[in-house]
Amino acid sequence: MRHTLIALMEDRPAALNRVLGLLRGRALGVHSIASGESETPGVRRMTVLVDTNDVQQTIKQLNRLIEVLEVTDVTNAEYVVRETALVKIHAPEPRREEIRTVAEGFGAKIVGSSAQTVVFEMTDTPDRLGEMIERAKVFGACETMRSGSLAMALGATPSPTEVPAREEISRPWWQADGAC
Amino acid sequence: MTDTASRLPPPASRTPSPPSRDRTGAQVMCEALVRENVEVMFGIPGGAIMPFYHAMWEYRDCLRHVLCRHEQGAGHAAEGYARSTGKPGVCIATSGPGATNLVTPIANAWMDSTPLVAITGQVSSAVLGKDAFQETDITGITLPITKHNYRVTRADDLPSVFHEAFHIARTGRPGPVLIDVTKDTQQSRVVPNWNVTLNTPGFQRQSGIDRGAVQQAARLLTNASKPLILAGQGVIISGAACELRTFAERTGIPVITTLQGIGAFAEDHPLSIGMPGMHGWVHVNRAIQECDVLLSIGARFDDRVTGKASTFAPKARVIHVDIDPSEIGKNVKVAVAIIGDARAALLALLEETPARDAALWLGDIREAQATHQHRQPYLRRPDTTELMPHDVYAALNAALNERGGYRVITDVGQHQMWAAQLIEWRRPRTHITSGGAGTMGFAVPAALGAAIAHPDETIWAIVGDGGFQMTNQELATIRQEGITNVKVAIVNNGYLGMVRQWQQLFEGRRYSGTPLSGPSFASLADAYGLRGFTIDRIEDTTEAIRAAWDHDGSAVLDFRVEREANVFPLVPPGNSIGEMITREEAHA
Repeated sequence: MRHTLIALMEDRPAALNRVLGLLRGRALGVHSIASGESETPGVRRMTVLVDTNDVQQTIKQLNRLIEVLEVTDVTNAEYVVRETALVKIHAPEPRREEIRTVAEGFGAKIVGSSAQTVVFEMTDTPDRLGEMIERAKVFGACETMRSGSLAMALGATPSPTEVPAREEISRPWWQADGAC
Repeated sequence: MTDTASRLPPPASRTPSPPSRDRTGAQVMCEALVRENVEVMFGIPGGAIMPFYHAMWEYRDCLRHVLCRHEQGAGHAAEGYARSTGKPGVCIATSGPGATNLVTPIANAWMDSTPLVAITGQVSSAVLGKDAFQETDITGITLPITKHNYRVTRADDLPSVFHEAFHIARTGRPGPVLIDVTKDTQQSRVVPNWNVTLNTPGFQRQSGIDRGAVQQAARLLTNASKPLILAGQGVIISGAACELRTFAERTGIPVITTLQGIGAFAEDHPLSIGMPGMHGWVHVNRAIQECDVLLSIGARFDDRVTGKASTFAPKARVIHVDIDPSEIGKNVKVAVAIIGDARAALLALLEETPARDAALWLGDIREAQATHQHRQPYLRRPDTTELMPHDVYAALNAALNERGGYRVITDVGQHQMWAAQLIEWRRPRTHITSGGAGTMGFAVPAALGAAIAHPDETIWAIVGDGGFQMTNQELATIRQEGITNVKVAIVNNGYLGMVRQWQQLFEGRRYSGTPLSGPSFASLADAYGLRGFTIDRIEDTTEAIRAAWDHDGSAVLDFRVEREANVFPLVPPGNSIGEMITREEAHA
């Protein structure tokens, strides 16, 4: 089953690599991954869409990574999800106005153009985005670039948690090997 | 000494140098190791790690370097040191092939939760990523088999990286950490800042033991009529053998020890019933299938313990104590999870669990044990005049338990299972083996590491002729280092025996790729300057073991045993642990 996970992790070298490597090593399919700076300096927030039969186990494995601070599965929570796509289509000057009108009609906006092409930006849910890209294709040859899903839970924001001090264990019976 | 020695700088002491002094990165690395209380390192130098070796010379009085013959040997030696002491082992290699040769011991340490710090040289930062001579992306390669790894390109980072690496390697569930240091970082000069504080908010987040879970577990254990304790290596790592014994005695619950948990509970204790799993005892596996509450402490339900996991302990409610939350529910369904250190959990359980006994249940298990041992030939040696593995183990068991002061390192295969079965284990950290990864070639170098850690004890490496021939060049290291307390017992059957056994039982005796020859191992030992013995008669075993033990030097004993002896009982792969084969004829 596909789960939407939101993870906070320290911005350390290879952190993203570790997350991907772990998911691959545990034989899980990664549908999309998007990662960027969070509101806290030195901490990144990422959205991972992963296919797993045991999401709790997947979260625990991610938590074993030193960089990972918190992982939340929002799949069954209230959350919003958005994805952005850049779509380049063939648009010679005579047709450009017509294309602009139709595209803006379904919520795309032109963010760049050349003599023969225009680039649209579209943002919506991944499913709706797919539909929009299909509709854009009727204008001709098409190149797409998608950002991967960005998810955000409604309600309280998970933030880097305070690290509780580790309980020191007294060792009254301790001997060299812990044997009696 | 020579003139060269007198011209060199005086050795550094264990007293840390003044903080303001300008040092090379390599000197900072040495000093960081001293500050982490490292005494010995196992390694091999090469181009990219040479500045570190250059600095090491100044520290030769407080940091012992053991030159191994292969980086795999260096890694296993560090593991042997770590497993026998509980302290992190340190191994060193150069970039490229040196580093990749460490991959097997790092993977082994990962699977067996061994604290290991691997230090590798890397090509200079200016040529990183340009396929420079002896460049490999070792941090990329070891990503999935380390708790964490670092590539250091600034000497300023060395104090905090080393401190963090050792902290991670030994804290919580121990494991391997790799530090890859570019050559220019080792050479650059820096005023080290030793005032480092750990900043790993994502590591070791769990706090104390959950009392509620402990009380729930205590209730389950109190009301159980057929409870069992399954003790794993976590008990040994946390130094909880004493608490385990107290808890078992207070509750009367029979104790099973996994392969890696051997030594956590003395096998001559009346509550010890033995080892479970693929080559565990029939009465133990049956007890697991019958029990109503299973308290697992520091064990991870490996498939060699559970057999077919869906049929494991079908009547039991499982209480799982583990320091690693990801182990809970990974392989078996858990009724109560207690996350934390095994010793802390046992102390809490001791407070919450009233005294009880389980004499009736233990009686049932003992009765089953008597019945099965009576019917099963695997405990008795077969009726033959040839030297059987059983004879070797009987003599070893007698010598070990008579003399004490020993540790045993086993390799992987038939000899490993016989050692687990046929020697009566009594103390933690006296049985060390490659369990999770099953790395042949582990025993000889690991014995070398354990021997350095425990010079007053006798370290036995029990090994097959296959595994011995994978890393036996470390006999040269043993000789060069003047190590006199390693005794290698080769259970030599001229086959890769465990594979041959499976071929015999499951593949119609097609011995494909398993017959194995070798040199005269006694002559080989002699060539390395060690004492060699060849034993092929039953009546010579005890005397050879005595002579090797008393010999003031390391020794190799080549026991030429019956070639097609098998390990029984055996749960065929993929079967439930309730379905065991106990002799050849039972599986036609």
